[in-house]
Amino acid sequence: MNNTLEQDISALGKAIFSELSACTSSPLERGYWNALFTRLTINLPELRTSLFRLVDVLPALDSDDILLRHISEYLSKPLVEYHPALGCLLRLGEAKPLRKITAALVRLSVTEMAKVFIAGETPLEAIPQLNRLLANGQYFTVDLLGEYSLSEHEALLYLKRYLEVVSTLHKHLLPVSRSNLTNGSSVCISVKLSALYSQIDSLNFESSVNILSERLSQIARAVEQVSGTLYVDAEDSKYNPIVYETFKRVFGSEEFKLASHPGIVVQAYSKDALEIANDLLRFAANRRAPIAIRLVKGAYWDSEQVVASQNNWSCPLFTVKEHSDANFEELSRLLLNNTALCRPAFASHNIRSLTHACCYAERNGIGNDKFEIQVLYGMADAIATTFSHRGYQTRFYAPIGKLIPGMGYLVRRLLENSSNESFIRQTFFEPTAIEKLLAKPAPIRCPQLAHNVETESESELTLSFHY
Amino acid sequence: MNIGHFKNYPITDFSLPEKRQFLERQLQSLQSKISGENGLHAAPLINGVEHRSEDIYLRYNPSDHSQLIGSTSFATTDQAQLALNSAIEGLPAWRALPCSSRASIIRRVGELLEERHSLFTSLLILEAGKPFREADADVAEAIDFCNYYAEEMIRIGQPIETQEVLGEENTYFYQPRGVVAVISPWNFPLAIACGMTVAGLVTGNTVILKPSEQTSIVGFEFAKLVLEAGVPKNAFSFLPGRGEVIGDFIVRAPETNMIVFTGSREVGCGIIETAAHIFPKQRAIKKVVAELGGKNAIIVDDDADIDDALRGIISSAFGYSGQKCSACSRLIVVGSRYEELLERLSNATQDLVVGPASNGASFMGPVVDEESYTRIINLIKSQEKATLLCQGKISENLAGTGWYVPPTIFRDVDVASPLWTSEIFGPVLACINVSSFEEALELANNSEYGLTGGLFSRSPAHIERARDGFEVGNLYINRSITGALVQRQPFGGFKFSGVGSKAGGPDYLFQFMEPRTVSENTMRKGYTPDFT
Repeated sequence: MNNTLEQDISALGKAIFSELSACTSSPLERGYWNALFTRLTINLPELRTSLFRLVDVLPALDSDDILLRHISEYLSKPLVEYHPALGCLLRLGEAKPLRKITAALVRLSVTEMAKVFIAGETPLEAIPQLNRLLANGQYFTVDLLGEYSLSEHEALLYLKRYLEVVSTLHKHLLPVSRSNLTNGSSVCISVKLSALYSQIDSLNFESSVNILSERLSQIARAVEQVSGTLYVDAEDSKYNPIVYETFKRVFGSEEFKLASHPGIVVQAYSKDALEIANDLLRFAANRRAPIAIRLVKGAYWDSEQVVASQNNWSCPLFTVKEHSDANFEELSRLLLNNTALCRPAFASHNIRSLTHACCYAERNGIGNDKFEIQVLYGMADAIATTFSHRGYQTRFYAPIGKLIPGMGYLVRRLLENSSNESFIRQTFFEPTAIEKLLAKPAPIRCPQLAHNVETESESELTLSFHY
Repeated sequence: MNIGHFKNYPITDFSLPEKRQFLERQLQSLQSKISGENGLHAAPLINGVEHRSEDIYLRYNPSDHSQLIGSTSFATTDQAQLALNSAIEGLPAWRALPCSSRASIIRRVGELLEERHSLFTSLLILEAGKPFREADADVAEAIDFCNYYAEEMIRIGQPIETQEVLGEENTYFYQPRGVVAVISPWNFPLAIACGMTVAGLVTGNTVILKPSEQTSIVGFEFAKLVLEAGVPKNAFSFLPGRGEVIGDFIVRAPETNMIVFTGSREVGCGIIETAAHIFPKQRAIKKVVAELGGKNAIIVDDDADIDDALRGIISSAFGYSGQKCSACSRLIVVGSRYEELLERLSNATQDLVVGPASNGASFMGPVVDEESYTRIINLIKSQEKATLLCQGKISENLAGTGWYVPPTIFRDVDVASPLWTSEIFGPVLACINVSSFEEALELANNSEYGLTGGLFSRSPAHIERARDGFEVGNLYINRSITGALVQRQPFGGFKFSGVGSKAGGPDYLFQFMEPRTVSENTMRKGYTPDFT
């Protein structure tokens, strides 16, 4: 092996990019409205906020009149400013004979947009989409979209929905060859713990962990019965200590300590990510059965920044995107070096990040069956397909739920597609040089952190893990 | 000294276990100190000397009224007179100090509060029954007042030239009013007492602080700290006592130039009336700054994000048991989602954790004392015509321990009922359904108060309409309506909510001063230095 890791990444990355451009012109081919929306918001930044806010409020509007009022309030000014003809078009749409049609068209377009990212309103409705993935040799993990659980009544309903989704999936999913599966069945769910207890609070730490452990155990039991897989999603830093503690308490317990590959998430954008990953590996070593770790960049960047800024707290996340990318790669290597303890899942739409993990595995003789690639449902189908054609196991994170709670999810996905730093935008909507997209992220420069990453944790690592 | 760099002191991030555990340990050690010494004590502090009296007030922990927190010697009127004399005597030297020196001393008050942050937080938890986050924020706000007013004083402390003209020099500057009587409430025992006191001091006045009866001990600890920071002992006195005795005495006193009050509308209006009367030997018209109550409404529009609205309503109505002047006590829901919203609100309210303030897990603690408890419970019971939507649960093992009032919601209330018009100052919320946003706004404004208000809406036109049309001093859009921060959200209202003063705002300090103009003819015998 004469090539360097960087040369491998460049070669694989270029091959993947060329396959991507051959197989489709856009990752969003399934969504006409999304592509239009993304192009519109990229090209008309002044419209962005208005459009996102309109999409956000839409499902809450129950009459045509209210809907049209909102369309006019949000869009008149930016549209007229951009192009007077568009303003006229909008006024025409509000004219009496066309009101019903305009309202219906707007509703339809948003529903269609949502359908691209949301597998179905109910588990049963999602089954055909999920089975289609299985038929392609791809897997999924189901996430249940929900409103906040403000009362125990709502938290317990949410728990019930999780138990139901497990049995619905078990009943209706196509059988697949067991050899490809981590556990015995293709049933896989991702659980958001904060929605399972209405009084979750860091000041209520013990009760939060106790009650959530009991509820997570119920779900874990149901998943075990069908030999499925479960991931506990990471959330924001006010809940994450509770989330990790609950995960460890349940899957370190007598009942579940031998459960195969219970999943948890590490967020590379968090300055603590390396410490958390090491702690989880130690946990896996102690329970004597491997766990699954989904490595993500992290989805709460905006809100964490807002909380930190409003409270004058130092931000717990990397504020430079490239630092998250560099940390993602560092963590990828750590997880791949410890596949006896964990099954890593690399969840990203960034081809550089994914090819880095694949090439590093290959160079170190780690088989494709020891890890997987995860993408969001509807966001990066082409990327997933390209990787699965090359023999990598791929899994889609597929939300199920109604439109109102789904809107927050939809808006985040749309934002992600159109944001300046979005890999999807750079890959599919802008002619960004492939070399640039595949370049090695600059190392984290913050001195205090470099110390943490390179000295402290490394010495810790050599004690217990291969690194 | 940095100017223009004011930053709010950060509240504690309790998701960090070490911060949580640190406060728990501090609280523990204060608890054992209290039981070891038969309670803490507080007393009048006049001209640097602690005084005693026969009138002893005992304060019990509102979360557990078997625990004595401490005893306070209430001041006599003779002692109040001593404090007034001392304030008169201290005035010339204190007002003569350059404002930068006074500002430094006030910053020192803030530094000492920072050093003893968790001690004060613990004391607030025990004496005022404030849950962790509320107590922590009370201390942070006190620190903010010190730093902000110190910085403001530097900004406005220098004389300015009004206009440039030849042959004449026109300067404009401010002088302190003189002796300031500060009468503070129990609901923010540290923040409000501190804010009003340091505003008076930094502007060059001498101050007499009369704390609320219920929170004299927090007040006493603060008073000692003020002197320790370097405020001269005759520039600041501490005078715990009964409002109707000591409060009344210092309001009437001819030596008093200004009264700064935060509290109930009834007492505040009484002070304004008394202060308007001219007493023998009085040398000036008294200035009153009064921040009073509220009957604050949240409007939930027909397009609101219900999840966000519910969180905002619950924290605004029931945070610190509704005992904030900014708390939400009226809920106006526009349109057809009223029932859905009430059902979720009712479920959520019944699950809120009510318990001792000293238990971090409690979302809501007790109300401040037996009198408040009896008044609120009787008011709830006497609402025979109103429909009770729900009441929170109070665990049986709390029975007979503290003054716990369950969070309570009435629906479809009569707009003439006291539930809709009177400030209850407890965890009681009244709800009404209307069919249009304009109707909601009219109903919200139809109140004798104008302090805070909230709107949950996603209509740009309605949000714009509310900015101007919602008649309150502090309007919050798509968020909770309590927790105003110094400088970021200057706080105060109008109508019967107060005189329009804004604590923590850019014009607050001017109220403590009198402006003066000096014009000097610089031309002599046909010669002016302007041309040299």
